Amino acid sequence: MIEQNRKNQNGILEVRHLTKKFGSKLVLDNVSLSIEKGKTTVVIGASGCGKTVFIKHLIVLLRPSSGEVYFNNKRIDNLDEKELNKIRTHYGFLFQGGALFDSLSVSENIIFPIRQHFKNPDWRQVEELVKSKLAMVGLDGFQNYYPADLSGGQRKRVALARAIALNPEIILYDEPTTGLDPIRSDIINELILKLQRELGVTTIAVTHNMASAYKVGDRIIMLHNGKIIADGDSEHIRNHPHPVVQQFINGQVGEDDLAVLRMSGSISQAQFLPRDFE
Amino acid sequence: MIGTIGVKTINGINNIGRYGRFLWQSMNVSLRSCLDKLSYPLIATQMYIIGVRSVPVVMITGAFVGMTLAVQAYDQLAGMGLEEHLGVLINISVVKELGPVLAAVMLAGRVGGALTAELGTMNVTEQIDAVRSMGTDPIKYLVAPRILACLLLTPFLIIFAVLMGIIGGYFVSVIQLDINSRAYWSFSAAGVELWDVSIGVIKGFFFGVAIAAISCYKGFTCKEGAQGVGQACTEAFVASFISILALDFALAVVFKSIYNTFWPIRSLV
Repeated sequence: MIEQNRKNQNGILEVRHLTKKFGSKLVLDNVSLSIEKGKTTVVIGASGCGKTVFIKHLIVLLRPSSGEVYFNNKRIDNLDEKELNKIRTHYGFLFQGGALFDSLSVSENIIFPIRQHFKNPDWRQVEELVKSKLAMVGLDGFQNYYPADLSGGQRKRVALARAIALNPEIILYDEPTTGLDPIRSDIINELILKLQRELGVTTIAVTHNMASAYKVGDRIIMLHNGKIIADGDSEHIRNHPHPVVQQFINGQVGEDDLAVLRMSGSISQAQFLPRDFE
Repeated sequence: MIGTIGVKTINGINNIGRYGRFLWQSMNVSLRSCLDKLSYPLIATQMYIIGVRSVPVVMITGAFVGMTLAVQAYDQLAGMGLEEHLGVLINISVVKELGPVLAAVMLAGRVGGALTAELGTMNVTEQIDAVRSMGTDPIKYLVAPRILACLLLTPFLIIFAVLMGIIGGYFVSVIQLDINSRAYWSFSAAGVELWDVSIGVIKGFFFGVAIAAISCYKGFTCKEGAQGVGQACTEAFVASFISILALDFALAVVFKSIYNTFWPIRSLV
């Protein structure tokens, strides 16, 4: 009932009966969801369960096979690219690997969206802006570095600075902490919280890192086989009765996976030893 | 068996359709980019990468074409006592056919491969999605400057190749094979017309667009992983090569009929 009420309030983004097929493979199966303005929503799920596909539908980088996507109560999944480009300026998207343009320096990367949408920007102001965005992610002074000179965590932070360059209303994070050590992951988590506090943006993050999900998420949604199987705050998820949810949040391997491992035989049978080659 | 043929045919037709749509969009956007001052710096960068840096390889290609032609054709002509006509043979082949085609093939390898690999890697690492997510049309930002740079510079590169072909041919014929220089040039001048030179250069526009459009398309539709990028590059080169030859044939037919319409007598002489 509470969830039902929530669905009808303040939905800045809404998907209705979203289904996505790649060939004959069903990736998203009739997903309906409304995302509240100003809140952080975290989508969790096993690798390959369709999280990234889902988040890309929110900005219509992928088009649904059936179903609808709404932004501020306006349907956007059927718009042409030109109209979508206007809508997309309200979004910031942090890609899994950062997706920085490697031929451009850090500052040029951050200027990119500004250059695309403002004909004659005041360059001194733009420089200030780059400085402030980089300061926000703790990387002021790296303006002239190239993406190849940065570590994985730094690249993600620069990508985040680029994503917030146009002061978006919505920031989408695709696996923001994947591939980072626990401390760097936590830096990213703190950044997500900071941006939400300071800019008041709506945040949607896709992750399979539970520590991160609990820390940043006002609401956690779990996808499994293309369907939503759990939806609520972190307390709700922790006590969720569904076995797949419990298995996922506790990081336990399932009984059927264990059975496969047992079936595949012992190590000495399965691999060659150095003496076999003598 | 029949099923496989059916699937392959449908995939092939789908692919042609997608390529056609991509080409149409790219042409539209490229035309508009010509009038958009903001895209000039992008075009200039691509012109430097695509054009200026291809000059040496294209010149070497041209020079060897001219030199080889001279060496190969000399014996046949000398046997008939016609070695002074060598200039016409070399220069007309270089100017009209071999120069443009081989320079374009060289560019398909050098430029096409680089374009496909670059855009393919951008696709695989989600950079093209990133361009879209920031509200920019990737065709406008990535494809149009490359197509325009290729369109504008391939004819110039062909001129370089042809020039070197002529010099190479002259070098071998006159200096090495001892043909009378004056006779060599006067026969060449009589045989090669402005029309032949124009054909060679006009072909360049078509070849340039074909190379850029195919390579960009293959980069945009590249599959994941190192293997995907490698495969895209191979396919791009093969497709560009075949299109260059096919276009060359088609243009030869078209130009011949145009020529025959305007100068019906001269082609008989």
